[in-house]
Amino acid sequence: MKGIMDWIDDRSGIRGLVKEALYEKVPGGARWRYVWGSCLTFVFFTQVVTGTLLWMFYSPSTQTAWESVYFLEYQVAGGWFLRGVHHYMAQAMIVLLVLHLMQVVIDGAYKAPRELNFWFGILMLGVTLALSLTGYLLPWDQKGYWATAVATNLMAEVPLIGPIIQKVVVGGVEYGHHTLTRFFALHAGILPASLIGLVVVHIYLFRKHGIHVKEPRPKKDSYFWPDQILKDAVACLAVLLAVVTLTIYFHGAPLGPPADPSNEFPARPEWYFLFLFQLLKYVPAFWGAVIIPVFLVVWMFLQPFIGKSKVGHRINVGFWWALIAGSVFLTFLAVSEDQANIKHGAAIEEAKWQADRVIEIANAEGIPPLGAVSLLRADPKNQGRRLFAAHCASCHRYNGHDGRGYPVDDPQSAADLAGFASTAWVTELLNYDHYVSDKYFGGTKFKDGTMARKVLAKYTEEENKLLPEIARLLADEANLPYEEKLEEEKRDELLALFYNDDLDFEDGRACIDCHDIDSEDEGSAPDLTGYGSREWLIAFIENPEDSRFYGKKNDRMPCYGRDDKLKPEEIEILVDWIRASPATP
Amino acid sequence: MTDSSKKQEKQEDRRKFIVTSTIGASAACALFPFASGIPSVLDPATRDKGNSEVPWTKIAKLSSLPEDGTPTKFEVILAKVRDAWTTYTDIPAGAVYLARKGEEVVAFNLKCPHLGCAIDYRKNSNDYFCPCHNSTFALDGAVTTENSPSPRGMDTMDTKVENGEVWIRFQQFVPNIKEKVPV
Repeated sequence: MKGIMDWIDDRSGIRGLVKEALYEKVPGGARWRYVWGSCLTFVFFTQVVTGTLLWMFYSPSTQTAWESVYFLEYQVAGGWFLRGVHHYMAQAMIVLLVLHLMQVVIDGAYKAPRELNFWFGILMLGVTLALSLTGYLLPWDQKGYWATAVATNLMAEVPLIGPIIQKVVVGGVEYGHHTLTRFFALHAGILPASLIGLVVVHIYLFRKHGIHVKEPRPKKDSYFWPDQILKDAVACLAVLLAVVTLTIYFHGAPLGPPADPSNEFPARPEWYFLFLFQLLKYVPAFWGAVIIPVFLVVWMFLQPFIGKSKVGHRINVGFWWALIAGSVFLTFLAVSEDQANIKHGAAIEEAKWQADRVIEIANAEGIPPLGAVSLLRADPKNQGRRLFAAHCASCHRYNGHDGRGYPVDDPQSAADLAGFASTAWVTELLNYDHYVSDKYFGGTKFKDGTMARKVLAKYTEEENKLLPEIARLLADEANLPYEEKLEEEKRDELLALFYNDDLDFEDGRACIDCHDIDSEDEGSAPDLTGYGSREWLIAFIENPEDSRFYGKKNDRMPCYGRDDKLKPEEIEILVDWIRASPATP
Repeated sequence: MTDSSKKQEKQEDRRKFIVTSTIGASAACALFPFASGIPSVLDPATRDKGNSEVPWTKIAKLSSLPEDGTPTKFEVILAKVRDAWTTYTDIPAGAVYLARKGEEVVAFNLKCPHLGCAIDYRKNSNDYFCPCHNSTFALDGAVTTENSPSPRGMDTMDTKVENGEVWIRFQQFVPNIKEKVPV
């Protein structure tokens, strides 16, 4: 073994190199405050390794990016862990960068003769942020898509060459295949290669000038090996532990629903860019994209010179603290504004629902070549919600919202259709107080109609007790997937009540006086044969003005089929969705 | 033992502890990134695709095959193929020779078991011939020459005839070994 080592050493001088690397003097002894640089090197190393492994699974195109990430996350053994480590390490890198920078600034290590290295550090901060930005888009989910679009739009603010830069980075005018191939080349090739080069120079310059120590020295001098390396390694282990804990706690990195330009999503960047996002609410884009960044860069460049005097150094330290405090404050504002915004919360919930749903379908059926976004578009559960929100929710509600969970601005003027035609829903409908409430017909002219004033309002206590039975009959007509069918005998019994065979209801207040079930007669009110069933509801939505339903008494309900407002298959999807599940209490 | 030698020993112990912990912690940090990806990278090797998963695929009508047993070439269009995340439908997956044997059918994979070239059927000599390395096969798929480059006969697949339609379980096999082993 020694012979081999000697042979190699004779030809490479490796021993001298290792010795030089390890026996670097640490003036004033090993200290915890020096660990940040090593931690960052470790984190970057982890990112290069895990990133290269992720590369084995990733396919950059608009039909395969989300899909390949989904496959890694849900089908490949341990894929979620690998991706999770890469995701949370990236966040740790940002935190460590700030700590490293602040240590350098507070200790005055940015001053002569280390100016050059300080500038290289700032440059590396920029490259790391660019890595974060490009990595955010790669899964091609809603979050990455919408947030990155904001970032690339900001590029166009650069005078003269902005629009060209934007087109070059995006790979065209619109987001597409080339956006992903370019972002991927940046994220996995150009940027990390630049960072490796910068790290080499950074470490070389650091070694050239040695550790910057404040006099008087706290302890007697020691060496990098093993004292400082032990502290460095312990700190790296702590970072590792934090990242693994986050990865396991959140079961990997999030993956939202696949990017869909027609499916709106509130664009928010990763948390460490939130302060910039918030800033853009107050300043014009040109300021946010050009003036402020240029000012910051120039200011940082000048800091080593400003820091020559004691006052200058204090100004520099103050500048960074102010920058951090400002960022924290803006981040806090951004988060609290979003938390107070009900619509934002609903949008996040909706995206979560879509993500769960598309993953459920992909697991069961696989993903067609057109990509996962086509799965959501063809899914009745997803499309039903969207159709309801777009076409019904300006008057109707679903569990009080628009079908997807969003609150609605317009006042409710028609019934809440969650659990439509179920026993519970009809039972409530037949109670006068509920009938005239906003949840049912309170917003329509039917609240003053015959049914309300002359029938429901007039029922005696005995008659009222029979109404839940009528509700059971009507719900049985609906044949809802989540309700049990009545036995034949029971149905006949309830039908007799509906027909008022035993004169349980006062004349004029019996159902059969106006409505009809199972006979040829046409009553003056909607025919309840097959009430709430798939066929009945489709026909109703197609044309509520048909004599079978409201006829001329229809109150503002559009005839979606007759007037071609919805395609027949859309009405079917909508009906299937409304009938699929009971109301949630 | 003097006090100073005791002190020295203590210091040496301390140094040993520091060196061991440093090496341990550094090694853990250096290995972790690789370790985090091992299960994912090895995933393809740990996935077992048993014979039971091979689906039946409809190839042709029995009546379209010559009754004298002359082989006919057919494309194999699989109804559903999963390639990692994408599920394709009606995708060409290869080709087969079908030859009728009364009411039954034999199916040979078009690929030569030697190195995967496409095998021809020669009408004149009424046998199979691989134009790459000159392997020849009889109509029953067996190798016909002693020093045939192909280590085994042509690869057969399960077939069945239902309602006049020929179905096969289309499979690929490991090339250039004596045994017929599904890939």
